[in-house]
Amino acid sequence: MKIITRNLLLFALLLFVYTILFRFGLGQLLTAEKWLWVIIISVTYGAMIFVTAWTTGKRDGMENFLFDAGFRWNLTTFLVWGIASEAWFLLDLHSQYETIRVVHITLLIWSGFLILHFLLFLILRRRTIKGVHKTDIFE
Amino acid sequence: MSNEEIKMHDELLGAWEETYKKGQLTLWIFLSLKEGPKYVQGLQESIHSFSKGTISAEEQSLYRTLRKFYHLKMVDYSAGKGHKGPDRKYYHLTELGASLLQSFVERNILLFFQDPLRELLLNSSQTKID
Repeated sequence: MKIITRNLLLFALLLFVYTILFRFGLGQLLTAEKWLWVIIISVTYGAMIFVTAWTTGKRDGMENFLFDAGFRWNLTTFLVWGIASEAWFLLDLHSQYETIRVVHITLLIWSGFLILHFLLFLILRRRTIKGVHKTDIFE
Repeated sequence: MSNEEIKMHDELLGAWEETYKKGQLTLWIFLSLKEGPKYVQGLQESIHSFSKGTISAEEQSLYRTLRKFYHLKMVDYSAGKGHKGPDRKYYHLTELGASLLQSFVERNILLFFQDPLRELLLNSSQTKID
């Protein structure tokens, strides 16, 4: 039973690629002041993350029986998005409409939800035996 | 029974069996392993034969279940010779697994072998209600 699995790494890699492409597209569209497309690209980015997380998470559940209440996926999204976004600003690739403050505020709020998610995981962990959810043991 | 009732009987039986079989795989795996150590394909054949074909487990599902049981120390394995191929993992019940099976059988299965349940199960006629 692993914490860092093939599916989690695949999700992290795809998320990183999506984030770079999103950041690039967002910068271009903001500079061109194409506001409708900014909304479209943002929704698409969110939907792609959701679908990828759902698919890889489901596959991980089939191969690996570690119960984590989705916390590993949330933490991975937080780390990859945070690192990619910070790097984008540090490398000065952002547009004039983007500020690093937005990234920091997002990360701050997100870390609060991350702590809540971790607490939920700790509570739900009581329903497990050696990391396997009791209802998943005898199928 | 009319044709319509026979059709309904079969449909209901199918639905009941579908629900009943859920959660049964563990019992079949444990019973097969109680008979002796087995590799996955052997286990699959044994389950099929023991259950007279009513239970079939996919190889992938058995691998996953056995990995889980191994993690929970209910089964263990040792390497054995494969048929003209690489070594196979021969699974067997651990002391915990064997004890668990014994307790489960005593609490949930053996009662069917005692009267009045045994009598009711073997008697196909139904009590008449006036």
